[in-house]
Amino acid sequence: MTAIAQERGYRSTWARVLRSPALRLVVKRLLLAIPITLGVTILTFWVISLIPGNPAQQLLGPEATPQQIHQMELQLGLDRPAYERYLSWLGGAVHGDLGTSLVSGQPVTPQLADRLAVTGELVALAVFGSLALAIPVALLAARRPNGVFDRVSMFVSMAGLSVANYVLALVLVLVFSVKLGVLPAIGFVPLSQSVTGNLQSLVMPATAIGLPLFSIYTRFLRGDLVDQMQGQDYVMTAQAKGIDPWQVLVRHAFRNSSYGLIAVAGLNFGVIIGVTVIIESIFALPGLGQLMLQGINARDMVVIQACVVVFAVVTVIGNLVADLLQTVLDPRIRYGDR
Amino acid sequence: MSSPVLSGRPLLEVSDLRVTFTRGGRRVHAVNGLSYEVGTGEILAIIGESGSGKTVGARTLMGLLPPSAHVTGSATFDGTELVGMPEPQIRHWRGSEIAMVFQDPTRSLNPTMRIGTQLTEAIRRHHDVTRAAAKERAIELLRLVHLPAAERRFYEYPHQLSGGMRQRVVIAIALAGEPRLLIADEATSALDVTTQAQIMALLLELRERLGMAIILISHDLGLAASYARNVVVMYAGRAVEYAPARRLFTDVRMPYTRALLGAIPQLERPSHGQLPVISGQPPDPAALPEGCPFRPRCDIATDKCAEAPPFLQHQPGHWWACWHGAAVQAPAAMATEQAAGENGVR
Amino acid sequence: MAIVEATPSVITAGPVEPPARAWLRRLSIVVPAGVIVLVGLACFLGPLVLPVPKPVGGNVLNAGLPSFSPGHILGTDPNGNDILSRILYGGRNSLIIAVSVNLIGLTVGGGFGALSGYLGGATDTFIMRVFDVFIAFPSLVLIIAVAQSLGPSVITAILALSFFGIPAVARVARAATLTLREQPFMAAAKLCGTPWWRVLIRHIAPNIAPQLITFAMLGMGLIIVLEGALSFLGLGVPPPSPSWGNMISEGQASLSATPMLVLWPSLTLFVTVLAFNLLGESLRARWSSR
Repeated sequence: MTAIAQERGYRSTWARVLRSPALRLVVKRLLLAIPITLGVTILTFWVISLIPGNPAQQLLGPEATPQQIHQMELQLGLDRPAYERYLSWLGGAVHGDLGTSLVSGQPVTPQLADRLAVTGELVALAVFGSLALAIPVALLAARRPNGVFDRVSMFVSMAGLSVANYVLALVLVLVFSVKLGVLPAIGFVPLSQSVTGNLQSLVMPATAIGLPLFSIYTRFLRGDLVDQMQGQDYVMTAQAKGIDPWQVLVRHAFRNSSYGLIAVAGLNFGVIIGVTVIIESIFALPGLGQLMLQGINARDMVVIQACVVVFAVVTVIGNLVADLLQTVLDPRIRYGDR
Repeated sequence: MSSPVLSGRPLLEVSDLRVTFTRGGRRVHAVNGLSYEVGTGEILAIIGESGSGKTVGARTLMGLLPPSAHVTGSATFDGTELVGMPEPQIRHWRGSEIAMVFQDPTRSLNPTMRIGTQLTEAIRRHHDVTRAAAKERAIELLRLVHLPAAERRFYEYPHQLSGGMRQRVVIAIALAGEPRLLIADEATSALDVTTQAQIMALLLELRERLGMAIILISHDLGLAASYARNVVVMYAGRAVEYAPARRLFTDVRMPYTRALLGAIPQLERPSHGQLPVISGQPPDPAALPEGCPFRPRCDIATDKCAEAPPFLQHQPGHWWACWHGAAVQAPAAMATEQAAGENGVR
Repeated sequence: MAIVEATPSVITAGPVEPPARAWLRRLSIVVPAGVIVLVGLACFLGPLVLPVPKPVGGNVLNAGLPSFSPGHILGTDPNGNDILSRILYGGRNSLIIAVSVNLIGLTVGGGFGALSGYLGGATDTFIMRVFDVFIAFPSLVLIIAVAQSLGPSVITAILALSFFGIPAVARVARAATLTLREQPFMAAAKLCGTPWWRVLIRHIAPNIAPQLITFAMLGMGLIIVLEGALSFLGLGVPPPSPSWGNMISEGQASLSATPMLVLWPSLTLFVTVLAFNLLGESLRARWSSR
């Protein structure tokens, strides 16, 4: 009897998912990501085109004759109007060809893959590490609002919010590399080479990115939990059942606050991606940000453009994933309540 | 009537209950002296405008007040003092001895948790049973509150149910610990009239079947009086009249209660006539009048009312707080209403 | 606040709590605001009043003096420039940039956001889609790209950071306007035939101002950090002209030998940003409690 009911319950759940507005929402968000991605590439193209100087001249060096430069311009398609160049670039990008470096003459796409892995690992460590720390801290802080733990954690997170990532990075280097000598100041060890070496090379960069994130997550989650606990009737119902406050906090309030936390993490994703550029340069990590800075220093527009677009697309995907997670997990959205 | 009131020890005895909050540096007197009794299986109604302290008074019994609340006075449940009971102990009482149903069924269920989970959570808190047994019990409870398609509802989320269905679920949750006292805090106010009647009928049926006492908290004197045996009328945090329901209609003694009775719309009144209203506002929280709080709105107030009237039992079973209780007349139209009221009393 | 709603209740006059809490609340606004004013005064008036040497063109003979040397309280950098002086002059750049970006953000972003929220419909959709693209962009990457395109300078930093500031303020302004639009007085203004620009200036702007100013305070801290990041990467204030960001960047090279070169500007940056964040938080708490 129970088994039948359970099976019926699951089957109807599946049926409802397929019928529910959730699927439509998912499709809608996926479709919305397309114009945003296109807009991002157009914006990139426009910003890059503002860079002064002639790429052909750049490529050939100061000794080039005007004829050679003209030849190169034709080769690069610089004589064509901007929208044509954009379209042909877009055509290549759709097929995974982001152009050929003006400096090295090598195709950009293969370089990006390795570097994306480094950046990806760094971002993942920072985001999931700070989430893993923020959740228990926020729960403990919300357990007794204005208690000692709450005040200390709010103070620490306010400080964490105010410290610039690059300052934090340098302070970490000063303490752990210069003074204590326990962690390498720069360099990267791939995961395939040594797991501990990999973690050692990433722990400081990830912390430098993660501490402000931890602060944002903790402050948001703590605030939302306290709001739920003090202002929501369902919390009263749960308390009236006689279950203890910690369980009400974890099982009821946290469950409802977690969806907001996912949204906050998604919104912050663009900031995190940007910060990796600086952090990678400080720790000399061979990531996407470093490639972009190299491109900037060499005025290699193709490389800059490729990096910016990949960064932007990663950000769009990050936002999209947070959005979809929320759609799929939150029953209020899943069943079209909001 | 199952059990006569005041025969032997009442189930719940509240005397001179006072609750103060500290909010924004000010002391807020939410409950200012509240006394009543509830017998086993009895239905008591607590009536008052919003802000009269009726909800805070009830939540005090559950220990569900914010930390800034300061409670004095006494509330004994089956001989045990609830005021000042340590939190872990009162937590044990919650749900298993006293349970509560809240006003707004759209807000009192966790929107992101399946109904079954919210129910089994309450069941497993009070009974040491397996998951499967808890589920079976939960479906049993959902059937008890006449929720259609109980097995399917077990897997659904609150927003998939109508308001009346949600309130049935909230009641089922309250019943999970087999309480001896159920507090229904405006449990039907947010529902439409038809659903309201269905939920009231359900509460009465459950009382018959399970023998639990019920405290009905409401702002609707007409509704409460037609279901309850005794009625407590609250004004500005204090009890101002306490009497058997039918007695209020024949022998009202407190001008505020009389005004509430007069404000019930009646068919006998000439159409298009002005509806009677209670003139003035409830006391300005910042400037509570000395003495009787109803004095500024009262048409028979005298200088004597500058001194607060005590809440005393003037006649057997009939308490009021008014110096001029003897002078109060039932509203004229009540003569006919009285008959209706008596028919309605269960 | 279920309980608050349930108990307007009876309040007897007279505070029971000592006014300590009210004092604390006031302090949480006064102290960070005071720190900000102090930093501002020190940066803009300090060099005029105090005997501070020029931030550039220092004597190489004085190079690398440690902190607390006579005449150079915080020491000198490898070029012989006084660090305190560079922090003060650098602060001018940081504050000018941050204030400019905020003003641009508040006027342009606030204007577009409020307009978008007020007009709704296709205009709203279009404006917000454009800003969505900006927000989808990793802000710092965009800023770096813009700064690179325009070449490093104070103006560049302001323009580049505005790319980030405008859409952020626009979002807040739009959300605030949307809740405002439901208010009866907005309908009243419309019924009176008030033109949209007048509604925007006379009715919407004063009402969303508190929220925007609070957001701007939190934004000040963020923009100072981002400006530092730009200068740190050599894309903001061009050396030898000082800024907190390029001082930290220059000090990075000799971090192990002379950490003070990094620590002094870092500390200043931290305290300033912390003050803006604390002020923003206190203002937010104040507005939301009303």
